[in-house]
Order: sequence, then structure tokens, then C-alpha cells
Amino acid sequence: MYGAPGGGPTVYDPMTLPVDDNVNKYTFCVELKGSQWFLQKGKMIAYYGQMEFNGVGHGRLDRLVRTSFHSPLHASDWVVADGSGKMLLADRAFDVNSYDLDDGNLTIRSGNLLAFQPSLALKQSIVPGFLTLIGTGKFVAASNGPVVFMEPPIRVDPQALVGWADCPSPCHHYGHGYMTGVMGGLRAMTGLGGASGEEHQFEFVGAGTVLLQSSETLMAEQATGAVPHEPGVPGAGGGFTGPSQQAGAPRLPGQLGDLQRRFGL
Amino acid sequence: MCDVAFREINSKMVEATVLPGQRLFSQRGAMLAYKGDVSFTPNIQGGQGGVMSMIGRRIANEATPLMSVEGNGTVMFGHGGHHVQVINLTGDTLYVEADRLLAFEGTLRQGTMFMGSQGGVMGMVRGQVTGQGLFTTTLQGVGSVAVMAHGGVFEVPITPGRTVHVDPQAYVAHHGDVRNKLSTALGWRDMVGRGSGEAFQLELSGNGVVYVQASEEKL
Repeated sequence: MYGAPGGGPTVYDPMTLPVDDNVNKYTFCVELKGSQWFLQKGKMIAYYGQMEFNGVGHGRLDRLVRTSFHSPLHASDWVVADGSGKMLLADRAFDVNSYDLDDGNLTIRSGNLLAFQPSLALKQSIVPGFLTLIGTGKFVAASNGPVVFMEPPIRVDPQALVGWADCPSPCHHYGHGYMTGVMGGLRAMTGLGGASGEEHQFEFVGAGTVLLQSSETLMAEQATGAVPHEPGVPGAGGGFTGPSQQAGAPRLPGQLGDLQRRFGL
Repeated sequence: MCDVAFREINSKMVEATVLPGQRLFSQRGAMLAYKGDVSFTPNIQGGQGGVMSMIGRRIANEATPLMSVEGNGTVMFGHGGHHVQVINLTGDTLYVEADRLLAFEGTLRQGTMFMGSQGGVMGMVRGQVTGQGLFTTTLQGVGSVAVMAHGGVFEVPITPGRTVHVDPQAYVAHHGDVRNKLSTALGWRDMVGRGSGEAFQLELSGNGVVYVQASEEKL
């Protein structure tokens, strides 16, 4: 962000900093007027004014947490900014963008979410590693490279997925046609040719929007906390009594390993 | 056939249209998303040509894992957060390191070139300094290529009489009728460890284009 040619970088003060908008691609400015924002620990890089940052467990915030924070095991990663002034958010020089939800829902990879307004409710998605925001308000998220919005039907590399809005049907898609048939068998036996690395995607159909980041480099995952061990809860670990993996035939060197077993070949 | 196979969505992502009967090659694992009916098959030979080409590439250490992309639909490519530059070739030859190749059209002919064949021993030294090694990959024909670089890419035209000097570490690729040589500006300062850090430069002359990345970090 540069001003007039030869004028050097723009110098901001508390008055000229944008209100709830991007300062540049990598920094976002939030204005607090006696209001509150949730933010992930360590994402605040500077602030003007009077502000307090309290852990989510703080007594005064009990009511707020009760209404808009539904990820109890995740609480230690979040703080509430409270007061008045302007606050700058950034994350390791990743691209930062804000999104407005209007009585909507959006699910996002937990590591990518930086901050959100308490008018939104944060919940754990039933897809492990993702968080869902429901309600009306603004949130700020980071991505590696600009975010690209796509409409379903689409299949997405798991690492390139940032999140999705309104799509009711995220599911797994396995494409492994090249592993079948005689040549495929030969390939699987010997490991010759290797794997394409694209055997598995997330598939989205129906109406909605899918958010992609332009790179497969993941941001450090934020633990969303384990889901309770209950039967019928995906990712809970317990309760699954499927066929045990046969540890049977020893694998020859060079074989594709896990892939064949996963596809039942 | 559409004229441009790759469309730049942003600085780090390209979209490719795949049509029946046409084939793309891409680096394995570089697919971000796709629409339609597209299959990704790992390529044993690591590209085009027969088994001899494969062996050639293996020996030359230019055997980057590739997959062939076929079907009917659109595919998004991107890899590692690197910047992507689309280069359209109209019959001339692109010289690029194999691991910088994100994707390229199947209409291009892939080959391997011995660095020593351009300038003998100095060519080999040049390969060592630029990190290209003794061999580099060539793509020839009509079609487009998506090349990865660390930091943004800019293209510098090379015209007769206007020689371009490039930092070997910032060099990405070049195409056209270009002769390159390594120019050394070694002086006594370098010998006593007080050099400017720019002792080696790649000197390109002729008629063509060189692509330079805004970083001295290799992929």
C-alpha cells in the first residue's frame, strides 16, 4: 500500500485506519466501540485505544461465551477483545479477508479462522478439523494466496479446501481407476509408476459456495478439541466395530501400501 | 481447440480446460479442484516419449513425478503456495527445470538437454551455479506451460544487441533463440571474502524472453 508516487508508504493513525476493513492484503483492522470480538490467540499484532484481552474462561464473559462459543475444548485457543479502539490482525503474512454472513452458515478449516463477531455462533463442524459459524456478522479468515469461490458440483483436494457455505453434502470421493485392471494390478504390485496423489477428494454437490485456497500448503491446524465419545458421532473414535484390518500377507517393497487396502484392491 | 489451455485465476492458481482427446501433464499432487469427469493417472515414464526417454530423464535427474490428466472438465492447479506463470509457446523451445513444471499441454514435446552442449565445460559450470545441474528439460512446440516460481515472476525480453544479465538463483526459464553464458566478475575481493555476492551472473543474448523470479530462493 503506497500513497502518491515518491510519497513513500502511507502512514496510518487511529483516525485514518480503516474501520472493519483490510489495511492491506495481509492485515485487517477491527474497530471496537465498547463491543467485543473473538480472536484466536496471537493474531493481534497491534492496537490503539483501551482494550482488554481475556481468555474465554474469564468470569465476566460467561454469558457471551454461553451464547456464541460452542466449542468448549477449543476455548484455550481463543480470547475476547473488549474495549474501544482499533486493533490490527494478521497471521504469518498469509492473505487475510473478511466475510459477511447474513443469517447464514459457513464452515471453515479451524486453522484459517482468525476472528469473529460475537453475533455469530461458533460451533464445531461434524467434519473433524472444521468449525462452523452460524448467524449474522463478520469474521476474518486467512488463506495461503487469495481465496477462490467456486460453485458445486466440484471435487476439491483436501488440502486446498478452506471452507464451504450452504453446501449440505461434503463427502469423500475416491478416483483410482488407474489402479484397476491388469495394468493397475501390476502397478499396485510393483509400485512402478507410483500414485498420482489425487485419489481422494472432497466432493460437493447442491447449492452453495466452496472456498478454495490457491495452494496445498496447509496452515497449522488448530485443535478443535475431540468430540465426545458417543456412538454415532463421527470422528469420536469409539463405537466403530468394522471388520478388523487383516494384517495378513506381508507387503513387498515398493508396493503402494495403504492405498490399495483403502480401495479394497 | 481453445487457444489458451491455462487461465490464470490469481497469482498462485491456474485453471485448465480438459477436452476429450486432449491430454495435459501436471506435477503429481498439484491438482486443487476439478469439475466434470476428469481422471488423473500417474505417468510411469514421467512424461512423453518411450522408455528410452524415461531412462534418459532418470539418468539426467529430470524425472519429476508427473501425472496425465484426461477427460472432460476444468481443473485447477496450484502447488506449495508458489507463484504460477503461464507461458505460451508458438513453436520455439522452452528451457526449464523439471521440478518447476506445474502443468503443460500434451501437444508439447518434452526433451532433456545436456548443459554441456551449450558452451561445453562452462555450460556445465553454469548448470551448477543456477542449480539446474548437468541437465535441463526442454519443451518444444505449440501450447502453453504453467511454471512455478518463488515470488512473483516477470519476463525480460532479450533482443539482439541488448544482453540481459540475471542472477543465477533468480533465473526461472527462457525460450527463444537465446545463447546464455555464465559471466564471472570474480575479483580479489571475493578471494578475501569481501565480495558483493554477485560474482556469478547469467548472461543471455539473442532473441527471446527470460523469466525471472523476485526471489533468490529455489523451489
